[in-house]
Amino acid sequence: MSLIDPSVVELSRLQFALTALYHFIFVPLTLGMTFLIASMETVYVITGKEIYKEMTHFWAKLFGINFAIGVATGLTMEFEFGTNWSMYSHFVGDVFGTPLAIEGLMAFFMESTFIGLMFFGWDRLSRPAHLAVTWLTALGSNLSALWILIANGFMQNPQGASFDPDTMRMQFTSFLNLVFSQDAQAKFVHTSIAGFVTGALFVMGISSFYILTNRHKALAARSFRMAALFGVISSMAVVTLGDALGRLDYLVQPTKIAAIEGLWQDSNAHSSAAAAPWLVFALPDDAKQTNYAEIGVPYVLTPLITHSENTAVPGLISLEQQAGPRILNGIKALNALQQYGQDHDAAALATFKQYENDMGYGFLAQKNAPNQDLTQITPANQDAIVAQTEKDTIPNVFVTFWSFRIMMFLGFYFVILFAFASYYSLRNELEKHPLLLKAALWSIPLPVMACEFGWITAEAGRQPWSVYGWLPTFQSASSHPVGYMVFSLIGFALLYSAFIAAELYLMFKFARLGPQHHAEPSVGGTATMFGKPQLADKSWQ
Amino acid sequence: MGKLFKIVGLALTLALGVFLAVVAGDYGPWYFAWLVGTTMIVLIAAAGAVMFDTQETNSNGKV
Repeated sequence: MSLIDPSVVELSRLQFALTALYHFIFVPLTLGMTFLIASMETVYVITGKEIYKEMTHFWAKLFGINFAIGVATGLTMEFEFGTNWSMYSHFVGDVFGTPLAIEGLMAFFMESTFIGLMFFGWDRLSRPAHLAVTWLTALGSNLSALWILIANGFMQNPQGASFDPDTMRMQFTSFLNLVFSQDAQAKFVHTSIAGFVTGALFVMGISSFYILTNRHKALAARSFRMAALFGVISSMAVVTLGDALGRLDYLVQPTKIAAIEGLWQDSNAHSSAAAAPWLVFALPDDAKQTNYAEIGVPYVLTPLITHSENTAVPGLISLEQQAGPRILNGIKALNALQQYGQDHDAAALATFKQYENDMGYGFLAQKNAPNQDLTQITPANQDAIVAQTEKDTIPNVFVTFWSFRIMMFLGFYFVILFAFASYYSLRNELEKHPLLLKAALWSIPLPVMACEFGWITAEAGRQPWSVYGWLPTFQSASSHPVGYMVFSLIGFALLYSAFIAAELYLMFKFARLGPQHHAEPSVGGTATMFGKPQLADKSWQ
Repeated sequence: MGKLFKIVGLALTLALGVFLAVVAGDYGPWYFAWLVGTTMIVLIAAAGAVMFDTQETNSNGKV
């Protein structure tokens, strides 16, 4: 079997990355805003104060704009699995398709239905009933994300399935193992709470704008307070959950964690594992397998990753070498599988079963085999092929290292920002700190950036696999002509850019307008969003 | 009698809640943490809003 043109594979990857990253500009805001809106409506139902109803209405309007465009960008991705990743869909479709289908049902039935009721049910439902609808919308949007993340968890750490040599596909062994996989759970919690941070900073930033420009103060001060408290806990949770996710990656994807840390040599290579530094800055060179300009903090790496004092963390060079025997086993597994496919020989099946767990490494070796045929690997060329394939088992270190750091530094920035925001909001001293308000306003896009870099870390760090340890990415794509891929890539880029332009236009427009039924006169404040807002009046109570 | 049924009903709900928490804690600790954590985040945000109104009332009262 010949391999798919590498240009097509790269274009397919680029197209999926582009559509996924575009889509994920909208998703975190939906995940977080729904619960924040539900919190506001809860206060309205409990206290009966109209201002909270107005807050719910206003933020729900902005959420609605984001939701509509977010859904539109997500639709194409479900089809992309079939159009651009048909080998992948064939190989794991029986497993992967289930959570994907449930996600579709969640998004289009539960979430969309309740969103309709949330927007149009104010005059038709009782207060408690409408509150229940808002809560179900929040749950529905996060449950949609849950099933996508369960599907992604399977790609990161395949659980609940095994390969069937008769159908040549992976098939379910346990649905519960898929749903309760550690990776799926950790990923969902980390991603959902990152959405909470995004929603909180969005509300806090726009509220800051109103406070700075002395408009809608009653709404803005309350929204700021709720968003700051919502965000301070969420941002602390997202950092600690990220650490736990890193620990899980150390256990199941050691190449990813070594790439994240720019760790070429074992952590105990030069001194003890305990003294190994955590790199704050470095310039990893993938070709030379070394780092330049390292700045590290000693005694941090080992406890951070292993949650122990002196456990050595394997470096990328060791991990490459450890892959050698698995590559040899994988070659044996695939040759036996080919034999079994031809004559259903019981001995061939037994050989395959013996080396089945390393089958993916055989797929990796196919790229380097003569004529891409594993049966042509002989004792004479075997060592060279294995050595070449070993290099393919690790991800791009520069990309993984830096995408992780950008995400992480932003995460800590959010903790600090929300902590100050909560403190000054609780003391009712926001007007004394215009710099904080401006920082909140200008930070609105940063959580989205952090989420995007988080996904780049997760996905680039999983390479060269689409399903970790089982199926390489270059074996997963469809065999389209290059021209088709270039055409569709340009089409998606243009279409999705138009979506983003529409979202930004509508968001700016409605955020500038503010709540329609609470039009306070501007007392000297200037309403030039992202211009130079000035504090006009220090009292808003 | 009605009060007794209410207490029994609440006790059964509590027992079911504890049972589900134990099961979730064993099989889906992260999911369980999300449920508890999200509830806590929402409650604290809501409490912050109520506190704001109280501060405002007190402040207006002093004036």
